[in-house]
Amino acid sequence: MRPVTPRGFRDILPREACERDQISRTIIEALAAWGYSIVETPIVEEYTTLQAGVGKSLQGTVFPFVDTDGTLLALRPEMSVPIARLAATRLSQSPGPHRLSYSSEVFREQVSLRGQARQFTQVGLELIGASGPAADAEVVGALVESLQATGLRGFVVALGTVEVLRSIIAACDMDLQWKDAVIEAAQKRNLVAIDLLAAREGLDPAVASALRAVPRQCGGREVIAECSQVAGSFAGVGAALEVLGATWDLLEASGVQEFISIDLGTMRSFDYYAGMVLEVFAPELGVAIGGGGRYDPVMSEFGDPCPAAGFALGLERVHIALSEQGGVTPARALDAVLGGEEQRSFAAAARLRAAGWRVRLASGDQASVAEEGERAAAKLALWASAEGVAVLGGDESVIGVLPEPFGEPPSKVSTESEVRS
Amino acid sequence: MIVKRSIETDEVTTKPRLRFAIPKGALFAGAVDVLSRIGVDTRGLEESGRQLIVVTDDIEFVISKPSDIPIYVATGAADVGIAGADVLAELQVDVVEILDLGFGACKMVVAEPLVPREDPQRVYEHLGVIRVATKYPRITERHYSRKGVQVEVVKLNGNIEIAPLIGMADQIVDITQTGTTLRKNDLRIVEDVMFASARFIANPGSLRTRSSQVGELVGALGGLKVQ
Repeated sequence: MRPVTPRGFRDILPREACERDQISRTIIEALAAWGYSIVETPIVEEYTTLQAGVGKSLQGTVFPFVDTDGTLLALRPEMSVPIARLAATRLSQSPGPHRLSYSSEVFREQVSLRGQARQFTQVGLELIGASGPAADAEVVGALVESLQATGLRGFVVALGTVEVLRSIIAACDMDLQWKDAVIEAAQKRNLVAIDLLAAREGLDPAVASALRAVPRQCGGREVIAECSQVAGSFAGVGAALEVLGATWDLLEASGVQEFISIDLGTMRSFDYYAGMVLEVFAPELGVAIGGGGRYDPVMSEFGDPCPAAGFALGLERVHIALSEQGGVTPARALDAVLGGEEQRSFAAAARLRAAGWRVRLASGDQASVAEEGERAAAKLALWASAEGVAVLGGDESVIGVLPEPFGEPPSKVSTESEVRS
Repeated sequence: MIVKRSIETDEVTTKPRLRFAIPKGALFAGAVDVLSRIGVDTRGLEESGRQLIVVTDDIEFVISKPSDIPIYVATGAADVGIAGADVLAELQVDVVEILDLGFGACKMVVAEPLVPREDPQRVYEHLGVIRVATKYPRITERHYSRKGVQVEVVKLNGNIEIAPLIGMADQIVDITQTGTTLRKNDLRIVEDVMFASARFIANPGSLRTRSSQVGELVGALGGLKVQ
């Protein structure tokens, strides 16, 4: 047989794996600089846990399966709910706020034949137990700084709040079906459908004009005043805009406002968001490279009512955007390929590794070791013998002997004279 | 699937050109018309012939099959586009549907033969399903499931009207403007499924990362509608 990976799953080969690892580490380190500690959760959760957290958008997005005792389980489709569960069950007794980061695989069901991945990796943070503009600005600030740390340029964080639209809808006495249709149209970003719903007979003209205007409002700090003009009279809108404005001011104080765009059309597809929502875009990619927001209701659902917010970046998408910008630093090269009599080459390799070298063991005669060194793009090809560790030239010649004890690996391909000295 | 964008820039201004997907076929003339009315240089489009890519100073037009336009825009291969509401409803991809451009109005209907070989109602009673031929399998499935009717959908790519005439289906779901084609094939409209017209759509990322260029177009096209 010729085995294949299941539809939507793939292998990651050395070069890509190495670059992914670098990007993910860079982000986790940038988050550590804000005091976030990495955690891990099982890839499997009880279905009811995910359902309580993710809500109806869970349907059709998870891989469910049945445990041997009949419990319905599912692979995690995102990381906020598992980490909210972790915080609600393991950390509720310790004083917060909890600052947690992760780099984890998540799984989503995808319609067949669309070539979409069913497994991908999210890197992000959750800030649990803190609320208000300071907490929101911390989440966004850490997001911007972690992307800056990867070297990505030109990205935009679209920052909005679901509370404005929700407040407008709550203020009018239309039936539930109409209200759901507005939310659905907003989540699908179908502005034409919103216009049609706003044209519904009997709708308060103030609601209608606010519904038409708000999802289209985007720009800088001025958007908050513009929104207040069309929607400020609805209960709840003023408070939501105040939080958004104060968040912007803190981001401006941190000097990252050039990456932020206030965008009141941002509505995430997960139902659990309440308050801030955000999406991140890179110019090289037509899909969001990350997203997040505030999801306090999930914590209440898990019996530990407290505020919570976070973001997740799609590692695969950040990787594509970075490589399009030429920003993925090449993996550290192999320092040496080492051959010779096995007893001696193993001993020499151990001493070289202890000195910080990356050494690959090779078999065969001097010519084939030299050849393998070239193929592997190693800085040096070495040969261990009773006389010590020799540096091989291209054509079976020995161009020098490495002085012992071994020092740091060479920073570039050494010339004959450098080796000898 | 994630499509990387190749961003074309103007040699002189080095400003990246906006990539605009234009549908060929029924919506093409209307698209050229609205664009020329807002002052976009459409001479290249009008003379495009078989050319698929037309470059102007600040816009690169990509001319393509109407049903592919939402995919171009959703993947970010094109920043913006003009697509029919029918195709958007069928594909359900992640694009921002910004404006109803008003032209290309038509409706999607359920139709059946004037003189059916077998009455669909009776077929349903006996067999529990009716067969429906369509270019729009998802819209069809949604429409009948909302009504609580079980169907077997036969996906065809053209000349849907023929399906009931050769016994392939009991009913069809298709687009009609005047109803002439349906009448010519001895079909009658049973009910309306949805109304459709041309929509201006944008990639969600382009809307954020190229907001001024997209915003200009939205403003101009939106202004046109009011007049």
